Amino acid sequence: MRRISCGARRRRVLLLIAGMALSTAGAASAPARAQATSGEPVTIGAILSVTGPVAGVGQPERDGALLAEKIVNASGGVGGRPLKLVIEDDASNPDTAISKATGLIRSTKVRALIGSSNLPSTVAIGGLTDPIRLPQVALSGIGPAVEAKRTCVVHLLAPQELNARAALTYVRDALKAKRVGLLHDSGYGQAVANSLKAVAPEYGVELAQVEKFEIGATDVSAQAAKVKNAGVDVVVIVASSATPFRNVHDLRIGVPVIGSIASSSYDYVRAMGEAAEGVIFPEFLIAEDPLPHQVKFVATFKEAYGRLPKNYEAAGWDAVNLLAKVLAEAGPEADNAAVCAALRKPLRGVLATYDFSAPDMTGLGLSSFSYSQVKNGSFVRLPLPAR
Amino acid sequence: MTAALFVQALFAGLTNGFVYALVGLGIAVIFKGSRTVNVVQGEFVVIGALVVVGLLDAAGLPYPVAALAGIVGGLLLGGFTEVAFIRPLIRRRAGEDALLLVSIGLAVAMSAAVLYVAGRGSYLLPAVGGNAVVNLAGATVRVHALFLIASGAALVLGLAWFFRHTMLGLSMMAAAMEPDGATVTGIDTERMRTLTFALGGALGAAAGILVAPLTEVNYQMGLALTLKGFAAAVLGGLANPLGAVAGGILIAMVEAFGIVFIASGYKNVFAMSVLILVMVLLPNGLLGRRARAGG
Repeated sequence: MRRISCGARRRRVLLLIAGMALSTAGAASAPARAQATSGEPVTIGAILSVTGPVAGVGQPERDGALLAEKIVNASGGVGGRPLKLVIEDDASNPDTAISKATGLIRSTKVRALIGSSNLPSTVAIGGLTDPIRLPQVALSGIGPAVEAKRTCVVHLLAPQELNARAALTYVRDALKAKRVGLLHDSGYGQAVANSLKAVAPEYGVELAQVEKFEIGATDVSAQAAKVKNAGVDVVVIVASSATPFRNVHDLRIGVPVIGSIASSSYDYVRAMGEAAEGVIFPEFLIAEDPLPHQVKFVATFKEAYGRLPKNYEAAGWDAVNLLAKVLAEAGPEADNAAVCAALRKPLRGVLATYDFSAPDMTGLGLSSFSYSQVKNGSFVRLPLPAR
Repeated sequence: MTAALFVQALFAGLTNGFVYALVGLGIAVIFKGSRTVNVVQGEFVVIGALVVVGLLDAAGLPYPVAALAGIVGGLLLGGFTEVAFIRPLIRRRAGEDALLLVSIGLAVAMSAAVLYVAGRGSYLLPAVGGNAVVNLAGATVRVHALFLIASGAALVLGLAWFFRHTMLGLSMMAAAMEPDGATVTGIDTERMRTLTFALGGALGAAAGILVAPLTEVNYQMGLALTLKGFAAAVLGGLANPLGAVAGGILIAMVEAFGIVFIASGYKNVFAMSVLILVMVLLPNGLLGRRARAGG
């Protein structure tokens, strides 16, 4: 045993006690002290459809984004500087989106832009951000061909074709169905219908009956009756209202119903009433049974808002966190091109796993999809279909 | 084409037809009683339904009481609309175009008010018979849809009797057809006009209460309902409530059969083509000139 002099031992003990005291003091005041941000805020803009027909998507996105801003700032901000999120409402309208974008870019001088919740507005805003290479995080799936050329606009939602493939994978592998009936609205539903028609043959599935109705139609029982009459094995409904689900349920067709991600929210499920029971959704976030990397977000959201989040809340959250990370990485003096380069990398988000360097500016694969079924107003995770 | 599909289309047509008919009825009644086109009719429907939703949720009233309260609410709203907005204009000898503009402005304002009070959500009322359906010749029809059709028919017949066989109904018609002559015989034309609007409001609310269990009601629906109801009323001769019913059912039938037997994408094309064709061939509506004059 080594012999330590009295003085050295006393010094060691003093150091030990001092160290313990400091670390305790540090731990006690850490929340207040360690994460404070200072300096010039890093400002990012967000154009979301908080009102108008797409408000059902825009409002959750706003909730997720605001929460992310709060948490980012509580965790040290962007490289020590506070993050400032300026949210504007485009009322689901591309012309409004353009005027808000112009304001954010020219007057507020945002470092990056999130937006929008709907495809036409995203494309419209892209016309402003692309020429100046301002990084844009879109909360809509990639749409017309021009978007693929805008190499600073990344997308956090799946391209339409992937949504179609996710649904058809379930139809073919889990339901073993051959004949599909499709009820879709004349807006977003038309795009989905086109994708489904294009991809269905690959899956050995026939779109036996395709019926259209206008957005906001108050009754689609005639269209639903045609689908029932065609003798299908499964009905796919793409709508932004609960009416088609109720009409299909009223007809007691007796086959599984698959909805689209835009209808998978607690509000819609409540509006569908009895008709919601058993509806299957290909989606990303099932808050009742989250994947390991989603658990923390679900808990944080539940604590902040007192309710469970769904896909669009996670998308808003991911958008803000992505930009905070990229802006911190690129540094405070980085120009648009540098931020853009930092943006085009893989990302493990809460909603999905992305690779923004991919040609479709999304890099989302079928493996990010989960399938849920509504039971008693909650979403239950379904096992992934075996190939 | 199967028999089941045919019957399904028939009932879809009848159900929607009576909804359009009830809205058209309100527009026709108001036109009959005041010679003004009421663009606010669709808002009466929405507000009537939402008042009942509110009373059921907030006050926990039993359904029949809440429904009655909703209809009374519609009555009061209709009367108030006339007294506050129409009467002052008529006293100042405003033309039909000014009244139409005010009516359109009111419709937009009421829709915004509904958004403010009730929010963006869509609301359902409990249905008669719950979610039960019946099987009729291979078609599946909601019990509530049958209730709606029966109630609609009863309302129409009741209204026809009211205008022909009650003093009040006859006075309301007289005041509209010939205001000066009516005044001479002691009919208070201003009060008759107010009562006409009140009746229109009550009819709108009744339509809302009947349709809300089948179709969720929200702040945006008013104008679309007004347009369909207006088409129904015009088809029927605008001042003839029975004509509005016939018009509404015709439009809805054309829509339903067009969807089922031709293609669902062209539903509005059919309905509007039929409307245009009928108006070209029968300019005074389905029931002719006699109906137009309010007979």
